[in-house]
Amino acid sequence: MLECRDLRKSFGELAAVDGVSFHIAAGETYGLLGPNGAGKTTSISMAVGLMQRDGGQVLVDGEPLDPGTTKLKAKIGLVPQDLALYPDLTARENLRFFGRLYDMPRARLSRRVDEVLEIIGLSDRANDRADTFSGGMKRRLNIGIGLLHAPGLLVLDEPTVGVDPQSRNAILESIEQLGSEGLAVLYTTHYMEEAERLCDRIGIIDRGQIKAEGTRRELAQILSQHDRVRLSATGPLHEGAEALRRIAGVQQVDVTDGAIDVLVEQAGNSLMAILSALDQSGVSITGVEIDEPNLEAVFLHLTGRSLRD
Amino acid sequence: MRSALNIAAKDLRQRVRDRSIYVIALAAPLGLAAIFGFVFNPISDADFTATFAVANVDQGPLAAPLVDGVLGGLAEAGNVNLVQAASAEEATRLVEGDGERADQDIDAAIIIPADFSARVQTGRPAELRVVQNANSSLAATLALAIVEGYARELDYVQGAVTTLAAFDPARLADAAGVAGLAASTPHPVTVRDVSASTKQLDNTTFYGAGLATFFLFFTVQFGVNSLLEERHFGTLNRLLAAPVPRWSIILGKAITSFGLGLVSMLILIVATSFILGADWGNPAGVALLVVAATASAIGVMAMVSALARTSEQGEVFSSIAAVGLGIIGGTFFPINQAGGVLASLRFVTPHAWFLQGLGDLAGGSIGDILPAVVALLAFTAASSGIALALLRRRLNP
Amino acid sequence: MKALAIAASNLRRFARERANVFFVLILPMLLILVLGSVFGRGFEPRVGLVAPESGDLTQSLVEELEAHEGFALHRHGDRDTVVRGVERGELEAGLILPPNYDAAIRAGDAVEIDFIARPGQAALSLRRSIDTLLAEQMMPPRIAGFVAEQGAATFDQALAQAATVNADTDGVNVAATVAGESFITRRNWGQFDLGAQQQLMLFMFLTSLAGSAALVQTRRLGIARRMFATPTTVRTILLGEGLGRFGVALVQGVYIMLGTMVVFGVRWGDPLSAVLIVVAFGLVGSGAAMLMGALFSSDQQAAPVGVFLGLGAAALGGCMLPLYVMELFAPAIWTAAHVMPHAWALEAFEVLAIHDGGVADVLPFLGILLAYAAAFYALAIWRLRVVLTR
Repeated sequence: MLECRDLRKSFGELAAVDGVSFHIAAGETYGLLGPNGAGKTTSISMAVGLMQRDGGQVLVDGEPLDPGTTKLKAKIGLVPQDLALYPDLTARENLRFFGRLYDMPRARLSRRVDEVLEIIGLSDRANDRADTFSGGMKRRLNIGIGLLHAPGLLVLDEPTVGVDPQSRNAILESIEQLGSEGLAVLYTTHYMEEAERLCDRIGIIDRGQIKAEGTRRELAQILSQHDRVRLSATGPLHEGAEALRRIAGVQQVDVTDGAIDVLVEQAGNSLMAILSALDQSGVSITGVEIDEPNLEAVFLHLTGRSLRD
Repeated sequence: MRSALNIAAKDLRQRVRDRSIYVIALAAPLGLAAIFGFVFNPISDADFTATFAVANVDQGPLAAPLVDGVLGGLAEAGNVNLVQAASAEEATRLVEGDGERADQDIDAAIIIPADFSARVQTGRPAELRVVQNANSSLAATLALAIVEGYARELDYVQGAVTTLAAFDPARLADAAGVAGLAASTPHPVTVRDVSASTKQLDNTTFYGAGLATFFLFFTVQFGVNSLLEERHFGTLNRLLAAPVPRWSIILGKAITSFGLGLVSMLILIVATSFILGADWGNPAGVALLVVAATASAIGVMAMVSALARTSEQGEVFSSIAAVGLGIIGGTFFPINQAGGVLASLRFVTPHAWFLQGLGDLAGGSIGDILPAVVALLAFTAASSGIALALLRRRLNP
Repeated sequence: MKALAIAASNLRRFARERANVFFVLILPMLLILVLGSVFGRGFEPRVGLVAPESGDLTQSLVEELEAHEGFALHRHGDRDTVVRGVERGELEAGLILPPNYDAAIRAGDAVEIDFIARPGQAALSLRRSIDTLLAEQMMPPRIAGFVAEQGAATFDQALAQAATVNADTDGVNVAATVAGESFITRRNWGQFDLGAQQQLMLFMFLTSLAGSAALVQTRRLGIARRMFATPTTVRTILLGEGLGRFGVALVQGVYIMLGTMVVFGVRWGDPLSAVLIVVAFGLVGSGAAMLMGALFSSDQQAAPVGVFLGLGAAALGGCMLPLYVMELFAPAIWTAAHVMPHAWALEAFEVLAIHDGGVADVLPFLGILLAYAAAFYALAIWRLRVVLTR
């Protein structure tokens, strides 16, 4: 469906995207997971032909796509990160306008507008101006515009940023639904849970490069020899974390609110050493959990920084 | 092309919902033209008819040619009104009025003192008097010029008689006959009146046209700046991601601006004609000028707008450009009649060319507007060329 | 004081808008410069002249024309330029001398000068002035022509004789006196004085009205309701917002006065009284702005309507056509002008600048202006209370 090869883009000195390659098969949901500023939006802007590339190639169904290409763009539906709709037009008018730009025949457009209004749950507000909508409704309309022309590939750029939990869940559900109906989806996010929940395959992107790629299971394999130990604790957590880093076998230490996450090669071998080191640092432990590493841990392992940074 | 029309149709729908465009494109120019017309028209329409008080105290043979001949002729032609005064004092009083300010009705008094004719005929010093109203400069100057002209004629006759006598003293016997002959000798130089056509707009039309032009630049800016607005709303990316060529986005905006500009101008022309009585002139010529002016307005505003990064900045730049060019271009006052640097400077604006074209059309034929149309199209070509070059970069990030 | 806090936040928002620098500080000065250059010197008719020769007779005629006080002479190279200038109103009249002017006169031939003017009577006085000037200058040739025709002497002999005769005779004297005092000279405005006063009023009012959008915005953003939810009265909110507009108007007014004084040498008269007028007029402007802000519900509309009303009120109030011209030519409009506060402020400035008046002399005008301000504010408070608590 979509193949990106060695995409490159620099803004002055900064190489925002530095050789990114990925491909998405028909019906597949692919996630680009990375923190803010990793190069996600720049990558997909090039992938959908919004941005001039410094290098690389984009193929849609085997045909090259460039900013100047027109017809081919009809195979892609874009949902920009920020709201992109006309506040002074109604929901229906917004949909109809963009539908016309995709050369949809009138009869089909009318049918499709009604369908999409149904999908995004705005049928009863179809003739109200977008500026009268709540934040969640605007988000849904924003996604609806991308779906309208029934593209083979839907590109969503962090569609859940700044959305309340309820709307967010609704959005994720509808994307899951679309994916299961055979639509290919390119999804960028910095929420690990979303990537884990939605995506068939995930590319971990940081500083303009894809650090690792695969299914959730494949990515977890990177740390298959590892265990994740979560210690709920109180006291001088950062000093305790320092002490832990000196223990052999400990790969990563990450302090979160009221807990220390530790990635170790074999939990059974070093758990005692960990507990005593913390005890010596004056940290009192209230709970211990041992788990398989999650994407968060993989990410931290690969990039040396947290997704939340 | 179809996508350009789609974009234009969408834009127009948005503009029609934005009520401020009605104020800027229609109400403001029409309302201001009405107010300006109300304030300025009585002044310019005050026709120049001089009124003179004449005190012919002399009643002699040399007073008659002035009073009945020169002044009487002008009065008959309807150029001056004459008021007879019995004495020099009365004539002066008529001009002076109530004292606080000079009377507005009498522009000057012309006084022919007692025994004026006798003094001239006997070669003694003679005097004619003119009392000018300080507040009627043109008419008072006319009075002085008439009286001086007559005095010089008398001087000539006297000079002619004396000079002839120097060569042939015998002719002095019939001095009056010689004087008559001299008076009928034509001037070596005659002044021939050539009437020039008036290639100027009347006041009502000038303010209507000037304000329409001034606000035209704001009106097209609604279309031009909508490109920045699309960026602001994030919809520009959607347009770029859609399967439409990039030029069709720009063409769509141009169509929107053109539509807004033409419709507003059309409504203003019709409204000022019927409500205010403006006379725009030959419809075909006006149409040509309006189309060229609208195109140039779009080009100039697109160029200015393309320099801006955000839609707020775009609005700021455009309003500064529209106001500045409008003032330099003479849309508020006829700057061309000022002369000097300002009068020449106005030609850097499309406004001035448009108004000049309308003026030339008013007193001439449709062919006379050619320079204005060409200039406006040159503005369009140059400014939209620059705008496109700037926008190319903007649309290809 | 709460009103001051509201005013300060209002001013801060105003200063952030970069366009305001242009419209508040640069544009008024630009207009004063343009208007002063165009209209400040009074009106002198312009006569375009084409004189292809440089013979003695041509020379002396040109000198006479140049010396004439009734018009300004502009020399041009060809007839077409002059005709175009007359047609477009850039010249009041044109005068075209024939190419053989000197020779033809010396030969005693009839010479024709073309006087080009637009139809209408305005050129009548110019035509007469030029006739008179020509009559005086052409007297010796005309006498010589007459004497030669009578067969008493040759043209040249007669011309020489006529010149001596002409110098000896006194001729008929024309005594001209001026009655009354000119409306213009009585005021003795400097080139930029009147324009500066007019633009001061125009811009203070215009800036205030255009700024009424700020109050609408405050209302629309829900800030006004939020303020009203705090223990703040409608009057305080409005006074605060009004104080913000007033502050801008005052800064602009004082800036224009000082700026024009320094740059164009404009006379404003007694400084204290002048500042008092600006203060009073600033209150009027901000009051009108508050009323508009309370009446309109969309800031998108309030701004253009404010500009429209600001320009319209200024045109009517004597900021475009001087009041004395209205008084002279159209008393009805002069009366209508005094519905606008501008007219009263302009009259107050005239008292200061022309009659060297002081505070006591402008007191009545200040009273009238303050009454306008009070009325605007009262109406605005009433209206805003209705709107906010609806």
